[in-house]
Amino acid sequence: MSEAAEFDVVIVGAGVAGALAAGQFAKSGLKVLVLEAGPDTTRDLASYNAHLETFYTASSKGAETPWPPAEGAPQPDGADLFKQEGYFVQRGPHLYGSTYTRTFGGSTLHWLGVSLRMLPEDFELRARHGVGRDWPIGYAALAPWYDRAEHAIGVSADVEEQRYHGLTFTAGYDYPMRRIPPSYSDRVLGAAVNSLEVDLGEERVAVRVRSYPAARNSIPRGDYQPIGALDIGSDGQERSTYIGERCEGNTACTPICPVQAKYNANKTFARADRRHLTLRSQAVASQILFDGVTGAVSGISYKRYDDPRSTSFNEEVATGRVYILAAHAVENAKLLLASGPQSGEGQVGRGLMDHPALYAWGLAPFNVGAFRGPQSSSGIEDFRAGGFRARHAAFRFDIGNDGWRAATGAPDATVIDAVTNQKLFGRQLRTQLADQLSRQVRMSLAVEQLPDPDNRVTIDPAYRDKFGNPRPVIDYRIADYTFEGMAAARKVAARIFRQAGIKDCSRSTAELRFPTAIYDGEEVHYHGMGHFAGTHAMGSDRSNSVVDEFQRSWDHPNLFLLGSGSFATMGTSNPTLTLAALALRTADHIIAKLHDGG
Amino acid sequence: MTSSPRLENFVAFSAQITAFNKVEIWGTGLADVYLDTIDGLVGAAVTDALLDAFAPIATLRSDAARTDRLRLEVFGSERLGPVARAIVKLWYIGVWYPLPSTWQEQFGPTARNDAFVPTPAAFVEGLLWPAIGSHPPGAKAPGYGSWRLPPNIPSF
Ligand SMILES: Cc1cc2nc3c(=O)[nH]c(=O)nc-3n(C[C@H](O)[C@H](O)[C@H](O)COP(=O)(O)OP(=O)(O)OC[C@H]3O[C@@H](n4cnc5c(N)ncnc54)[C@H](O)[C@@H]3O)c2cc1C
Ligand code: SF4
Repeated sequence: MSEAAEFDVVIVGAGVAGALAAGQFAKSGLKVLVLEAGPDTTRDLASYNAHLETFYTASSKGAETPWPPAEGAPQPDGADLFKQEGYFVQRGPHLYGSTYTRTFGGSTLHWLGVSLRMLPEDFELRARHGVGRDWPIGYAALAPWYDRAEHAIGVSADVEEQRYHGLTFTAGYDYPMRRIPPSYSDRVLGAAVNSLEVDLGEERVAVRVRSYPAARNSIPRGDYQPIGALDIGSDGQERSTYIGERCEGNTACTPICPVQAKYNANKTFARADRRHLTLRSQAVASQILFDGVTGAVSGISYKRYDDPRSTSFNEEVATGRVYILAAHAVENAKLLLASGPQSGEGQVGRGLMDHPALYAWGLAPFNVGAFRGPQSSSGIEDFRAGGFRARHAAFRFDIGNDGWRAATGAPDATVIDAVTNQKLFGRQLRTQLADQLSRQVRMSLAVEQLPDPDNRVTIDPAYRDKFGNPRPVIDYRIADYTFEGMAAARKVAARIFRQAGIKDCSRSTAELRFPTAIYDGEEVHYHGMGHFAGTHAMGSDRSNSVVDEFQRSWDHPNLFLLGSGSFATMGTSNPTLTLAALALRTADHIIAKLHDGG
Repeated sequence: MTSSPRLENFVAFSAQITAFNKVEIWGTGLADVYLDTIDGLVGAAVTDALLDAFAPIATLRSDAARTDRLRLEVFGSERLGPVARAIVKLWYIGVWYPLPSTWQEQFGPTARNDAFVPTPAAFVEGLLWPAIGSHPPGAKAPGYGSWRLPPNIPSF
């Protein structure tokens, strides 16, 4: 570690992981620098609202639509999948279907906000079910950090509804805000299926529609103060405005919450002590510099640009005592791979996972009020645990409030079909749309994936972006374990639809808008959930992992890798809450070490 | 928005083909923008032909009769039908979708041949949202907890 280091801590990435760590360091009086690849256009209200305008004006609207990337910090885009081009170099055999955002604030700008904890058994998959690998820490060790993470990002839920599959909470604990009210359609579906029991192998599973914890503002408990839309004061500090202190049901969490009632990483920066924090945007970290003798990091070289539309840049180096990569699971691995000495005995980038997901969609027997409220507010969590995990993947359902949008492109696609193909107009058209759209029901069936060393992110000098940085090369295969989980999930979904009198339309309108795989002679259309994980997994020793339980690199003593890349396995919960808890835990560990003079 | 007889005809035509009333069509604030957009795309001559074809239909008393004649003379017309359908989609979704290539081969190319949103307000004012008792995603939010209540689709 250099004595003349400019900062105590240098963090790469102003996403949720980087923001939470930065906030902790600044609070403890450590001098922090955050390097962010993307432009800083999300922290003041006017610029944020310009992103909203971009979204309104786009004729087709995907998760990345409001967040176009800078030339020097490209990002994957859903549309790339069908063009065989784009940022990722996909080597298959299956397409990796997920995306992320490289703008200040990171992927939480467009995330949905589902904030489930991992289950106790998710940390011990090998010990309990003989598959995957075990984490070096268990649920009990992480539970207090979950409490803190839920308060840090602002999660709405009622604790009594979240005790299932062995999830326990600290005595007297409750979430900072009351649960987001379940939608009318959740309640209708719940009334129809909550008595249903489904057989899964030898197990009988009782189904329950349950509202999920969401990082969207609701009615606060105690003295918790929800953070709404941000604006920057003349002192450079973001502050919460009165807008967005409650979720308004905009049905747009992905790709952009217009009132910022949904958490994004800038809210954490807004709370951080600015005296100790330097935020440097339009700074793309491109290489980690190592001390040849100790293996310690001596600096991070980054490419700084003035104009997001230009490909010219200047190279600069940032130095600190401790370095943190919080640039997202793929970018962390890429950066490490691009920096020379191989770390983790060739394990960096291996074990890439996602939650490949299927849609099930149908028409309810009556108007359930589709297209109102958050894109979803409830799920079915009952299939996340069980003895069947020895044989096939676990899964969870997200129950949509936005009709068939995600699956078929409704409501636009429904209107186009009615007008162009069915030749309707006037009263007939309006009547049919009101009748059909309001009855649309959709579930996402998100399926667990195990770490497979051959699923990986690599780099290849042949593929570079406009700044000369490597583009991620992705090898990805969905294994039978997951396909069998998909098959089981599909059966359960069909059973639930039948019970609720919902006419299953999932197959009849199957579209080719999604990556396709063949399993058991049948086409499977799946989509990515944005849940990248496993690219720098944690483990109990250097032979089986890249980082230790504090996300510290085994090979580089002052380097920490934050994010879902550190996950040993990913269970069925959306990753962000867990990576947030881990980031807070790591930050406290580092603070203790630095204050010890270590 | 300054009114002209031509714009009023367009509003009447739009009301008829969307089943929203003229007040609602005016209320979007988009009638003149759309008329300009359409003129710019297919040429004023085509729009005029559409409005001329609608003029005698507009005077009919019963909605059913107007619908029948529209189906026959406008939506059934090779030249006017695709344009009328694109206008219905424009009002409902807020997106102009390109006309079929067969139309363009026969009647001339349109000024643009991609799907586009003429103005950000187009998305927000899409008629499909009130038609289903909802609101456009990301705009006109109905307020905390409103989604808990039973749906209410306005009758027309
Ligand atoms: C459509 C969608 C929906 C999602 N919904 C959910 C959900 O409901 N629940 C959930 O838990 N998760 C969800 N996710 C996943 C969630 O967005 C991510 O888990 C989370 O944002 C990851 O946080 P992070 O801080 O690790 O990375 P990011 O949020 O991606 O932040 C990384 C930051 O690092 C910056 N960066 C990248 N490279 C460099 C570089 N070289 N130099 C400097 N800076 C760099 C990026 O610009 C970015 O700001 C969703 C994802 C998608 C795509
Ligand atoms: S439902 Fe709307 S207001 Fe609520 S968090 Fe999502 S986008 Fe924001």
